[in-house]
Amino acid sequence: MAFADIPILSMLRTRLDWSQARQRVLAENVANSDTPRFRAHDLAPLKFDDSPLAASGGVTPVSLSRTDSGHIEGVGLSQSPFKNANTRTFDVRPTGNAVNLEEEMMKVAANQMDFQTATALYTRSLNLIKTALGKR
Amino acid sequence: MDLLKTLTIAASGLRAQAGRMRIISENIANADSTPQNPGADPYRRKIPTFRSELDRSLDTQLVELGKVQTDGSSFRMKYEPGHPAADSNGNVKYPNVNPLIEMTDMRDAQRSYEANINVISATRRMLQRTIDILKA
Repeated sequence: MAFADIPILSMLRTRLDWSQARQRVLAENVANSDTPRFRAHDLAPLKFDDSPLAASGGVTPVSLSRTDSGHIEGVGLSQSPFKNANTRTFDVRPTGNAVNLEEEMMKVAANQMDFQTATALYTRSLNLIKTALGKR
Repeated sequence: MDLLKTLTIAASGLRAQAGRMRIISENIANADSTPQNPGADPYRRKIPTFRSELDRSLDTQLVELGKVQTDGSSFRMKYEPGHPAADSNGNVKYPNVNPLIEMTDMRDAQRSYEANINVISATRRMLQRTIDILKA
């Protein structure tokens, strides 16, 4: 049995993937905090309660299919399996920039905590398997 | 890997803000650069611009320093009859640099720089956590 078949591990891995993707989006927001007409983005919260997701423990990516070998793969469409969610903006500066640095910092910190929780749980789950193997 | 892309994005933010600091320091250093002869213009204030650019190899929105614009506002006039650049009325053109505005801009650049640094350290901690799974 592969590790990927264990539901808790594959769910945790999805969670880690989601945190990584979110960290990337947040870094884009912070880097573009002075770019005119830039709006902050965020990912939609990860949900496991949809039945197909809960069964497989993962999110399947939706992407454009290539119908001809001469086609160039679309950029940005096949990359992330996670949904984008536009954040509400209450503060648009005269340049059209709507990035709130404080809010982004809060999100980065929260995302880091989520990631730590998931890695800690992952380690614990591996330890459980080790215990079952009788190595401890 | 997404976390490594995150580091690249944050680094592009650092680079853009450092370029902005360079232009601000040019403005402050040249705040009193008067012309050599009566007809010429003094130093004209420079304005940094930012633009967000899609990096195709990374599929991310990096930030770049755009074209450096010049401030078209009028020059300060000072009455200094003995100055070599004084016109027939004894007025000398001084650069249109307002130190107060430059200081505010500098603080803003510093704040954005720190925000990017925060993203980098948070991402590094997340990478470290991932590596820690191996040690468990």
